[in-house]
Amino acid sequence: MRRRVIFEHKLLPYLLLAPQLAITAVFFLYPAAMAMWMSLLREDMFGLSSEFVWFENYEIVLSDPNYVAALQRTAVFSVSVALLALLPALLLAVMVDKMIKGVTAMRTILIIPYAIAPAIAGVLWLFMFNPSVGTVSGVMRSLGIPWNPTLNGTHAMILVILASAWKQISYNFLFFLAGLQAIPKSLLEAAAIDGAGSTRRFWTIVFPLLSPITFFLVTVNIVYAFFDTFGVIHAVTQGGPARATEVLVYKAWYDGIIATDFGRSAAQSVILMVVVIGLTAIQFRYIDRKVTY
Amino acid sequence: MLNRRVLLGAGTAATLGFAAAADARTPIEMWIGLTGPAQELLMQFGQEFNAMQDEFEVNVAFRGQYPEQRAAAIAAFRAGNPPHIMQMFDAGTGDMFAARDAIVPITEVYAKAGLEFDPGIFLAPARAYYGAPDGTLFSQPMNVSTAVMFYNRDILSAAGVEAPPATWPELIEAARAITSSGAAPCGFTSTWIAWIMLEQMSAIHDMPIGTLQNGRAGLGAELTFDNELITRTVATLAELQSDGSFSYGGRSNDAAAKFIAGQCGMLMQSSGGHAAIERDLEGEFGVAFLPHWPDLIDEPLNSIIGGASLWVFNAANRTEDEFRGVAEFLAYLASPEVMQRFAEGTGFLPATNASFEAMEGFFAENPGRDVPVLQLLRGEPSENSAGYRFGRWTEIRDFFHEEVERALQGAVTPEAAVRSAIERGNAALRAFERTASN
Repeated sequence: MRRRVIFEHKLLPYLLLAPQLAITAVFFLYPAAMAMWMSLLREDMFGLSSEFVWFENYEIVLSDPNYVAALQRTAVFSVSVALLALLPALLLAVMVDKMIKGVTAMRTILIIPYAIAPAIAGVLWLFMFNPSVGTVSGVMRSLGIPWNPTLNGTHAMILVILASAWKQISYNFLFFLAGLQAIPKSLLEAAAIDGAGSTRRFWTIVFPLLSPITFFLVTVNIVYAFFDTFGVIHAVTQGGPARATEVLVYKAWYDGIIATDFGRSAAQSVILMVVVIGLTAIQFRYIDRKVTY
Repeated sequence: MLNRRVLLGAGTAATLGFAAAADARTPIEMWIGLTGPAQELLMQFGQEFNAMQDEFEVNVAFRGQYPEQRAAAIAAFRAGNPPHIMQMFDAGTGDMFAARDAIVPITEVYAKAGLEFDPGIFLAPARAYYGAPDGTLFSQPMNVSTAVMFYNRDILSAAGVEAPPATWPELIEAARAITSSGAAPCGFTSTWIAWIMLEQMSAIHDMPIGTLQNGRAGLGAELTFDNELITRTVATLAELQSDGSFSYGGRSNDAAAKFIAGQCGMLMQSSGGHAAIERDLEGEFGVAFLPHWPDLIDEPLNSIIGGASLWVFNAANRTEDEFRGVAEFLAYLASPEVMQRFAEGTGFLPATNASFEAMEGFFAENPGRDVPVLQLLRGEPSENSAGYRFGRWTEIRDFFHEEVERALQGAVTPEAAVRSAIERGNAALRAFERTASN
């Protein structure tokens, strides 16, 4: 006879969920609804004159060559940041996993960058790479590289990609290390006895077993690259030079706060939300199938 | 005995109660976007005003630098509770002028409160910038600055340049001399590219930025700065960037670091940067007027002001009392001693004629501090040197910045850059007018 455990209180689950639901409603659902409403309006700064313009803001945004360029730039930026944050993290996790002594110390050192606020990280990199007074810039100049992120768009992009990815490596490292340590050593030993080299062992055993973690991290890193890199870009390049580092989230902020065109900015926010939801949905649908749990 | 004590106690209680009731001051909220000594001084002025009277309680709050502070004020206004006074930077003036229902011109504020007010106490360039043609002053000038040229005496003399350059050809020669003689890695640099290279240069050369008296006569202005002056200036910057005599240092204040670090021999900068240079530069420096092109103008006109002014918000829940408190505090801030203390303590310029005259001794003791004011007051102001008023000017300035950056990168010709900036600027003006005239 099977015993079934029935949770008696009908109301308690809802009550326990209520705080989180309230927070989601106030900080996500309400602003999202406001943004969708504002994207259909054309207003002045203070909201004194308001014109309902249907989807005109979307038309203006999507036909703006600067927006299309920002779209492409954001794609390049996000993929670069995600790759640059995941691969070194995996490498570091594999290395630390093999260590016997000093694992805790090494882990602590590698986690520290995650505790630094994005804007501070940006400023750190800005100082190191500042064309006039940066320490690394001095080294580069002596090597003959004309490093100038103030005027060279490619240099500026490299700088913000590095600064953004650097922070995220710690986060990914932590998860990868936990994932690696959860793999039963017996599996690896058995494979070694059967004659598999360490590379073979990694790709056929370790990597598939890490796939849930990898899938989770890819999703988190893409969302991070789309939204949380605002602090770094604002502190380091402010979207310049000549818009070379203007990604979608920065453009949405600029058009709203600096250009005070809230309708256009809201339209961009809505489009960005749809893009990221779409990406996440695609990931869950297609990649999730390949993940072995 | 008991009777007397009871009477004394009751009397004290009554007086205290009375005092407590009378101590309910009307709060006045002022938001500012300045940091450093200027912020501290403004907050101090608020406290002094509170100590001087007991009807109003002024609270001076820092709400982030200008863009963030403006966003906060917009949000507060939309929620129905804006601050009483807000500090708005120069480029936002056009936007504020168009928001006629959101603000109350300060001439009206003083009139409603029954206080005497003469806009003539402010320096002429400030009056023109923040006022309407009929003399109504919309906002009260507070921190006024203009652009000047700082030069490093040691670097110039090491390069064999005897006198600081007064014209652009002299500047180009001096910059090239600095780099070729090895006195410094770069000849000159500039902060605030749009403010200095577009706005200031147009003013001192008596060239318009746009039609309709640079936008002051109303909406519908077209930008017209695709002229010889601006094209040539941008072309000069591009040429000198490629041979190292000019080193681009960003759109806002960052280039000052190059001058202070001793990398560049000359710097075009806001007069507000004087204190930082004095404190951190190693070596002797001097202050000169901005250079002009001698073939485009013989006697350069006045430069225009920058900085910020104080705007008064209109809200449904404002009472007559509150407006009176606002007027009294504004009057305190415009008083000669306060203006003088502010100018001397921060490096901003005295915004009133009275404070300027009172600072004669200060200028004598601190050479170079009077150059900005002399440049502001020189010549006979024309339509083109009385300032401008365009909506979305922060955005349009950034269009100019981007096009200049493209020209400096060599990606476009200076002519194409300037024309593109005008096209994009005009599009922004038309978009602004759609919401402003609703």
